[in-house]
Amino acid sequence: MRVPRTDCFDQLEPLLAQVSHPARYLNHEWGAVESQEGPFHVCMMYADVYEVGQPNLGIAILYNELNRAEGISCERAYLPWTDLSALMREAGVPLLSLETSSPVASFDVVGFTLAHELVATNIIEALDLAGIPIRAEDRDDDDPIIFAGGPSAWNCEPLCAMFDAVLLGDGEEEIVDAARAVRDARAAGLSRADVLRELSHVQGLYIPSLYDVVVDETSTRHGYAVPKPGEDVPDTVYKRCIPSLADTDPCPQKMVPYMGIVQDRLAIEVLRGCARGCRFCQAGMTYRPVRERPADQVVQAAVEGLATTGYDEASLSSLSTTDHSQCREILLRLDERLRDQGVRVSIPSQRLDSFGVDMAAAVSGSRRGGLTFAPEAGTQRLRDVINKNVTEDDLENAARNAFQQGWRRMKLYYMMGLPTETDEDVVAIIRQAQHVLDIGREVVGKGYRSGVTVSISVAVFVPKCYTPFQWCGQLHMDEVRRRQQLLLHSAKDRDLRISYHDAKVSVVEAALSKMGRDGFELVYGAWQRGCRFDAWTSEFRYDLWVEAGQAMGIDLEELAAEPTPMDARLPWDHTSPGVSKGFLKREWRRAVQGVTTPDCTRNSCQGCGVCPVLGVDNMIAGERHG
Amino acid sequence: MADGLYRLRVSYRKDGRLAYLGHLEVLNTLERSIRRAGLPFSVGNGFARRMRVQFSQALPVGASSEGEYFDVMLTEEVPTGEALDMLRRATPSHLGPLQAAYVVRKVPALEAWLNRSVWRLHVMGEGICPEALDEALGLVRRAGSITYMRGEKPRTIELGPTLVGWEFVGARDDGTCVEMLLDTRSSNLGALRPAVLLDAAFGQPPLASSRQSYVRVCRSAQWHEENGERMEPFDETFCASLT
Ligand code: SF4
Repeated sequence: MRVPRTDCFDQLEPLLAQVSHPARYLNHEWGAVESQEGPFHVCMMYADVYEVGQPNLGIAILYNELNRAEGISCERAYLPWTDLSALMREAGVPLLSLETSSPVASFDVVGFTLAHELVATNIIEALDLAGIPIRAEDRDDDDPIIFAGGPSAWNCEPLCAMFDAVLLGDGEEEIVDAARAVRDARAAGLSRADVLRELSHVQGLYIPSLYDVVVDETSTRHGYAVPKPGEDVPDTVYKRCIPSLADTDPCPQKMVPYMGIVQDRLAIEVLRGCARGCRFCQAGMTYRPVRERPADQVVQAAVEGLATTGYDEASLSSLSTTDHSQCREILLRLDERLRDQGVRVSIPSQRLDSFGVDMAAAVSGSRRGGLTFAPEAGTQRLRDVINKNVTEDDLENAARNAFQQGWRRMKLYYMMGLPTETDEDVVAIIRQAQHVLDIGREVVGKGYRSGVTVSISVAVFVPKCYTPFQWCGQLHMDEVRRRQQLLLHSAKDRDLRISYHDAKVSVVEAALSKMGRDGFELVYGAWQRGCRFDAWTSEFRYDLWVEAGQAMGIDLEELAAEPTPMDARLPWDHTSPGVSKGFLKREWRRAVQGVTTPDCTRNSCQGCGVCPVLGVDNMIAGERHG
Repeated sequence: MADGLYRLRVSYRKDGRLAYLGHLEVLNTLERSIRRAGLPFSVGNGFARRMRVQFSQALPVGASSEGEYFDVMLTEEVPTGEALDMLRRATPSHLGPLQAAYVVRKVPALEAWLNRSVWRLHVMGEGICPEALDEALGLVRRAGSITYMRGEKPRTIELGPTLVGWEFVGARDDGTCVEMLLDTRSSNLGALRPAVLLDAAFGQPPLASSRQSYVRVCRSAQWHEENGERMEPFDETFCASLT
């Protein structure tokens, strides 16, 4: 019997006085959908705290689509922070939804967002706190059907033991189709296994229980998945893809939180996909093709969205907002409409060229905080390897332009451990940053009072599936540490500030990125040992992950560093964003040769396979230049 | 008005679940309500171009109130009834506006000016009776000050200037709840939080055998006091046409 659907806020409330940030658990925000009549109930779960999960645009989109669908209601749930979850366990209060404070276990469907690899143990924690069997195979006919989807779904194998269905690609139509399929199958009295069979006919849905994992001489030790004998499911499930962004709700974010959240502003998705083709970037491969929202729609949505939410900031979000063919026009028109209302417009990422700086200047008014660029690598050679099509001149012009326009603080993002990287590339990071600093001093003037500083942030490269670097091993942790020291010691100027990521976190990410279903034992072992909130530096416990690895006979660092043979069948081959393996292999060969590949929104098609396989095309609203 | 700006004073409640909002969360929520309401608010000329709005003193997290205040500068004189309606439609009901009136421009900012509060407290727990609580509070007052931890840091609050008095309103016979009124005064030296006073009282011998589980705190009124005279936030000497 499923847990009954009842409002349990009165059980939660006495605990709120004892925890930090009770506003996380209050719900009833402005714009939340209060009428939750169902009769079919879905709960969208982001397995982190409210302030991290609430800004997620994907959830906002799915939430609206489901609530709009006849006969379906959708609520949200987040993972309580450790102080509250401890109190809840003690008091016997299960995980609750926000809108109606109903037990998450009482829902027909619970959907998890796979935002990144490090959410893994939190998903187990959420299921456990909800009282839902953690493994899909242990669930009864009556238990909720567990969905998962999101940016990190491309290798879902390490987690898929927990999921009944994984939704690949654009979710706005897919989620409604999937919810309806569950509803209809349940109404017809089908068993859980047959409900899942029905779900497998919804395009874009991968049903892990209908596939077997095979480990043989054609694969790595992590195996590959094939349809179970007798199951009528595709060998490869392709993602769902919305052909035109203009047909989607331009302003899905209607809710206004009470507490300060991570991105506390109105977000308008101005384009989806990026075809610049950076070879390390998973999103660049998996969100293709590029679909721009037309300027008129963006401007109208921002103006109306600000009026109905009361936000004082609108963010034009996407993977590369300044690539939008109508970027300049959008910013000018927004400035005209919003100038006198004390409203800010922000763009999360700008191109590394003079145009990017002009656009940053257009949105920042008289404010000049820090300006961020991502050259990713210090030498032209390595930038060619990763297909970051940015030249030394671009960077120089951008920096000069920025200093001339009044910026003083520059932040530069790099990666360490990229394929073919040498000490020379590492040292060049400092040389390049120093050059930017010198330009600043030349433009603004020398001395402490000029305030010119350059900070460098260096992440550790994690090879991700469905990128041309998916076969690479991660740079071994000892070597990462040596290169980090080399970087530190190469910097002489005190106005150069250096920070780098914790290599241990990257090892866990790399392991989860490359493992197959065998990865679940690792995740489960880490959770059992107490790992939670791994994405929080304050909570991350590398020692426990290492222990969990040892318990199953693996050395995490060795595993992360292991390259994969190019002809091996891979654990994620059957869940595809449409990018062909042939294209990825070609891109790898070109990488090694230092040959770049142009952007197909500015040049001709480069043959990645997405458009023909999915029957879609790039949709550019105007004309892209530069 | 010389610069064409109008200072609208609004009183509002804070109750229900929203009692758990912190001060900043209330500020943010109300600023957004003002924007949603479509009131012609004025924006400062400063660097950040913020809405010109001022709030009364912070309420503790978990405390509700029957009367908090903000002043917002408007560029047009919207009739108060209309302004109140516009705000009501755009504000979560647990922070709903109660009254509004235009006040003269030169009155001091609310935060420091409202220096007197009355709190209605429900002290919940076991074995609590008004007599013992009264005796314990008396001991705390005689000690003259309370030192308590605020986060990691110790803080001391002097009781002479801040604790005005208390009065018992009712109690459950089984000792699980005492209802009382607490009268406090704030100054630039600080404000006394009801929970701090009660925690100190429960550390005193008369309450040694009782246990406090939690205190429900509600601010029932605040006003300005000067030379012993009481002046209300909507006093007619500086405010017109209260709605
Ligand atoms: S198929 Fe061609 S046009 Fe379409 S995304 Fe790939 S490279 Fe670009």
